[in-house]
Amino acid sequence: MNPRLVFWVLLALGAVWTTVWAFVLLRSRAGPAFEVIEPAENRLRLRLLFTFGLILLVTFALSLRAYPYSSFRTRALGAPADSVRVMAMQWGWSLSRDTVPARVPVAFVVESKDVNHGFAIYTPDGALLTQVQAMPGYTNRLIYRFDRTGTYTVRCLEYCGIFHHFMLTKFIVR
Amino acid sequence: MGNATLPYTGTNGAVLRAAIVYLVTGFATFLAMGLLGFVMRLDHAGILVISADWFYRLMTLHGAGMIAAILLAALGGLCAVLSQRVRLSARALWIAFVAYMTGMGLVILATLLGRFAGGWTVLHPLPFEGRTWSLAAALAVYGGYLFTALGLLIVCVAVLRATTTAHGGLAGALALRYLVAPRSRPSTDLPHPAELIATVTAIDGVLASVAGLVYLVPLFAQAAGIVSAVDALFAKNFVLLFGHTMANLSIYVAAGIVYATLPHYTGRPWKTTWPVVFAWDLVIVLMLINYSHHLYQDFAQPLALQLLGQLGSYVVGLPSFIVTIVGALALIYGSGLRWSVPSILIVLGIWGWVFGGLGAVLDATLPVNQVMHNTMWVPAHFHTYYILGAAAFAWAYLYHLLADLSGVPDGRGSRLAAWLYGVGAAGFVVMFFVAGAHSVPRRYAVHLPEWQIFARVAVPFVGLLALALAWLAVDMLARLRPAWRRTGVTVV
Repeated sequence: MNPRLVFWVLLALGAVWTTVWAFVLLRSRAGPAFEVIEPAENRLRLRLLFTFGLILLVTFALSLRAYPYSSFRTRALGAPADSVRVMAMQWGWSLSRDTVPARVPVAFVVESKDVNHGFAIYTPDGALLTQVQAMPGYTNRLIYRFDRTGTYTVRCLEYCGIFHHFMLTKFIVR
Repeated sequence: MGNATLPYTGTNGAVLRAAIVYLVTGFATFLAMGLLGFVMRLDHAGILVISADWFYRLMTLHGAGMIAAILLAALGGLCAVLSQRVRLSARALWIAFVAYMTGMGLVILATLLGRFAGGWTVLHPLPFEGRTWSLAAALAVYGGYLFTALGLLIVCVAVLRATTTAHGGLAGALALRYLVAPRSRPSTDLPHPAELIATVTAIDGVLASVAGLVYLVPLFAQAAGIVSAVDALFAKNFVLLFGHTMANLSIYVAAGIVYATLPHYTGRPWKTTWPVVFAWDLVIVLMLINYSHHLYQDFAQPLALQLLGQLGSYVVGLPSFIVTIVGALALIYGSGLRWSVPSILIVLGIWGWVFGGLGAVLDATLPVNQVMHNTMWVPAHFHTYYILGAAAFAWAYLYHLLADLSGVPDGRGSRLAAWLYGVGAAGFVVMFFVAGAHSVPRRYAVHLPEWQIFARVAVPFVGLLALALAWLAVDMLARLRPAWRRTGVTVV
């Protein structure tokens, strides 16, 4: 999922909503009696309920295919061909290796030594690609397939204390 | 109890005074916490650089303080509205206020003096592992949350007691008989929408406060050495059930105020219709399950809860939009709307609630959340429906109440300030969205040079927002004393 695309979707939906909102405000001068508007309002409600309900249901069904959990990603990408053990701690990362293969599914086995952290992988050009929480007492598996080679950055995306923003490392995909 | 719009002559003076104190304290705290937010944004822009230690302390205080402030103001507004129709206990409101403010005071002390910087979400076990603050500071914050939860609990119980007494029990206050058999009772017996919403939000307020209190027990036990560790996933679920619901309560409580205020400016009543009852009764459940979209990236969370989180987050938007937003627009359309500071803030709030909601629904879609979680997209959506939603509704009501009680109407400058509030707030929050789309992490004290541009563009908008707020604050301050005097008498 491209974050910029999500922003354009928001802008498009926001523009539609702003147009509706502005239209109603522009028509806020005295007009038809409320008794005339009320039945139309009820019909509109029903239509909106079915339209939005359907859109959300379809979105929900489609989104299932792109769930990030192990079983979903294994189904989509195949079983992991390689794995990297990741240990998070205040305020650094320990990766069992600093290079991972491109174009095959890789499993990141993520744990935390102390508090909650967020294991987030950024592309070489700075976009957030995928993430999982690193939680004390739990092991989370994040499966991903890198289609582009290059140097990727790992940032902590769960606030973990006053050097949280310094908590980063890099690995190479080749 | 009919469906007429709520006048507030005839108000119980003691309750109204307590409500005004809630509203004014909430507004003043909002201004103070907003100033801290401004400092953080200046830091992001690289204009005013503060140490990471101070940044995260201010961030913690800003988050906890804003949630508490806006909820307090919204509760004050709703209590003022309710005081027209049901018998609220002024004593309970004052006791709750003392508890609530004690809680806020403890958080202020812990962050400013105790160097606590664990974030308002106090994700366990970070408060115990802060390195730069002591366990005592963490316990002060927990104590603060304990008192705040108690304060909320007391208000909610008082509201529930009042609405259920007025309507012959909980079923009456929730209009359940009408919900099941719409033709069985005349609509004049139904609670006003504001009373219905008060009942719904009070139920969730009770449950959220109890969740907060339950959550604190094992943490205090760990601090006392009775248990060695508390499960991180359990803690995350409970703290978000408490905190997220508290944040959600603000917008729903504030929506209750709109149901009572907008009719004053449109000249049309907001009736308790079947869709209104159905939607709001449904909110009781929906508000409690949508917190779990904050745990999507906790892969250890059971899949069923993740699915429920996404579905719940989708469904919770439907009653709000289809009933409240469409209802408000229908009330405005062709009404001859009287443009005034409160009505301007309400229409801005309607816009922001939906726009912020769109950002929230997108983020609640799990694959989107994969690339947006804990980026600036998250503060973007909740700042939108706080500043341009719950807070706008609360300030609309505060202005409405003070202007009406004092008999001093607003001027052209004040109306302009209200519109500028919208422009400043919109520019400010849109830049959060833009930063989120560029994957800028949230809760970072230091921003990379290429990220600073987003905050730099936002800063002038925050300045505009601050100017508008200052204007409205002076305006309201001028009306406060005469308004307060009017609450000393009960006019029937």
